[in-house]
Amino acid sequence: MTDASGATAMSKSISDTKGRQRLASADQRRLGFYLTLPTQILVLFIAVFPLLMQLYISMTDWTPLSGLNWTRAYELWAGFANYRDLFDDDRFFGALWRTFLIIIIAVPIEFLLGLAIAMLFMEEFPAKKVFYSALLVPMMIVPAVAGYMFFLLFQSDGPINQLLSLFTGSKVAISWLSDPDLALAVVIMADIWQWTPLMFLILLAGLLGVPNDQLKAATLLGASPWQRFVTIVLPKIKTIMIIAVAIRTIELFKIFDTLYIMTAGGPGVATETISVFIYKITTLELVWGYVAALALLILVTLSIVAALGMYLLQRNKSRASA
Amino acid sequence: MSEIRLEKLTKRFGDFTAIEKMDLQVRNGEFLALLGPSGCGKSTTMNIIAGMESPSEGTVYFGDRDVTRVPMGKRGVGFVFQNYAIFTHMTVRQNLEYGLRMHGLPAAQRKRKVDEIAGFLELSPLLDKPTAGLSVNILQRIAIGRSAVLEPAIFLLDEPLSNVDAAFRSVMRYELKQLQRRFRQTMVYVTHDQLEAMTMADRIAVMDQGVLQQVGTPLEVYNNPANIFVANFIGSPGMNLLKGALTSRDGRPAIAFEELDQTIELPDELARLAEKRNSAAVLYGFRPEEIELTSQNGLSMKADFLERIGARTILHLEASGREVKAVFDNNVAVQLDSMVSFRPASGSERLFDAQTGARIG
Repeated sequence: MTDASGATAMSKSISDTKGRQRLASADQRRLGFYLTLPTQILVLFIAVFPLLMQLYISMTDWTPLSGLNWTRAYELWAGFANYRDLFDDDRFFGALWRTFLIIIIAVPIEFLLGLAIAMLFMEEFPAKKVFYSALLVPMMIVPAVAGYMFFLLFQSDGPINQLLSLFTGSKVAISWLSDPDLALAVVIMADIWQWTPLMFLILLAGLLGVPNDQLKAATLLGASPWQRFVTIVLPKIKTIMIIAVAIRTIELFKIFDTLYIMTAGGPGVATETISVFIYKITTLELVWGYVAALALLILVTLSIVAALGMYLLQRNKSRASA
Repeated sequence: MSEIRLEKLTKRFGDFTAIEKMDLQVRNGEFLALLGPSGCGKSTTMNIIAGMESPSEGTVYFGDRDVTRVPMGKRGVGFVFQNYAIFTHMTVRQNLEYGLRMHGLPAAQRKRKVDEIAGFLELSPLLDKPTAGLSVNILQRIAIGRSAVLEPAIFLLDEPLSNVDAAFRSVMRYELKQLQRRFRQTMVYVTHDQLEAMTMADRIAVMDQGVLQQVGTPLEVYNNPANIFVANFIGSPGMNLLKGALTSRDGRPAIAFEELDQTIELPDELARLAEKRNSAAVLYGFRPEEIELTSQNGLSMKADFLERIGARTILHLEASGREVKAVFDNNVAVQLDSMVSFRPASGSERLFDAQTGARIG
């Protein structure tokens, strides 16, 4: 009890001194404010203006075809009609669902595969460096090029089918990219191929941070490799795991370039994700008010997801230090 | 069962030989200190006993059991790391009960054992605290408790006191000794600090450059060092060594120091042993603590420098570039830059072969 009151008294006296300092330098602070004002305005302009513009457009039926400058979009005022329409748009929910599906299939596979490879790389084996470099190549490839590679690989007379023919001994001619289910599978495969290395890299960094002595100590105390993983490794890399999964989830939510080159969202809308959907209605249907509403909704959703992630991280951290 | 025996143990890292054909026996219930300067191979020896490294050649026995190929998790040795390797994401209790949990002990028994060891190590009030932010002294006790709670028959400690402040070190020395008395484990203790080795160990194994130099009780190692390395390494300051040649003076055996242009009488016994060995060139050794100031039949050197370190004074003597250190009580009456006559206390002289460094007598 005495401790606690002592601490408050101390923090109070500290804040008092700070208060005096603040008073003494009030003029200086004002000067600082004026000096940074141009930059502040610029930053505000860059960050806030597009948001406000988007909000404004989203409340109208404005399109570039309407012949009006965007500033006069209020003449086509629609209120919340665009938002209402969104909730009735099956194509939107379809795209949302497919994006979701890609995430919940690809991210766990990338995570587990990345973790397994990272654990493998904690051991010594021949030509480790060669494998290490080779493993990082997919990540370095421009996504559009990766998309094109998979587009060529999975043609009905492409190398994949040729390989399958060779193994099965009969002619295989699966039309990968024009079958709705298979197309989605190929899209997921391409993503796994390209982004497992990132998972691997992040998780390897995490594993390398686990103190070797603690692992040895655990072994000497009788822990099996599995017990070691659960009791030592996992708690120590949990934060990094959350970060890795969060990065890939957010990235996958925006999946576009590889996918668009491979399937352009097709066949039909079979691989149409949120990004592809937005791209199409922006460039083909030109309903910009609607697009603005949609984009804003996604921004808000992603922000909530990110905030949730941050909250989990924070809780994790404070629990670790508590 | 808990005797440790190393046979022809050799460990090479590439071209570097860390341990060379080492034979060592640690008796059941013994406290053995592995002592040596940095890089002498003592930690490697310890790691091989623990199973963290495997030897290039040779065998490790626990009792009659060859454990050379037994993985470290199955050897059942307690190990305290130099940096303690505390599980920083766990509380003190979770650390202490880790081994018990891994061995699948029920919660009630775990609690009883942890409470008992925590009581012994005075950790009880801290049991539910997180380990992050605890002082080194506490971490050290957790590290010991975490291994001790499993009651291993063999306990290995890798310089556990090197990070502890001086005041706490003597407390820990006492506690470690108590711990061993209580659990009667075979303890191997790696250290480069001879004070720790001398005060705690039943026997000391001195190593240098991967070679075991001598094994013996602290007093044996101090009084009868096997070679000039041990003579120099043990004791603070180490043994004085002067290069000399056997000669005789007035019909009595003596040793002549050419550099000093002085001669000193040699006990018959030492002279006889030296003659038997046929070693003409010898090193004459004597402890700084066993020097008498005398005007007769002694050596004469200039008082160069006095180090007063509280309980005692170290006198640096010099002649013709040769240095001799002498340790006295604080009230020694010596004038700096004056000539000082002295001789080793009778019976404290040692002779070493100048070529091999081995003790003659």
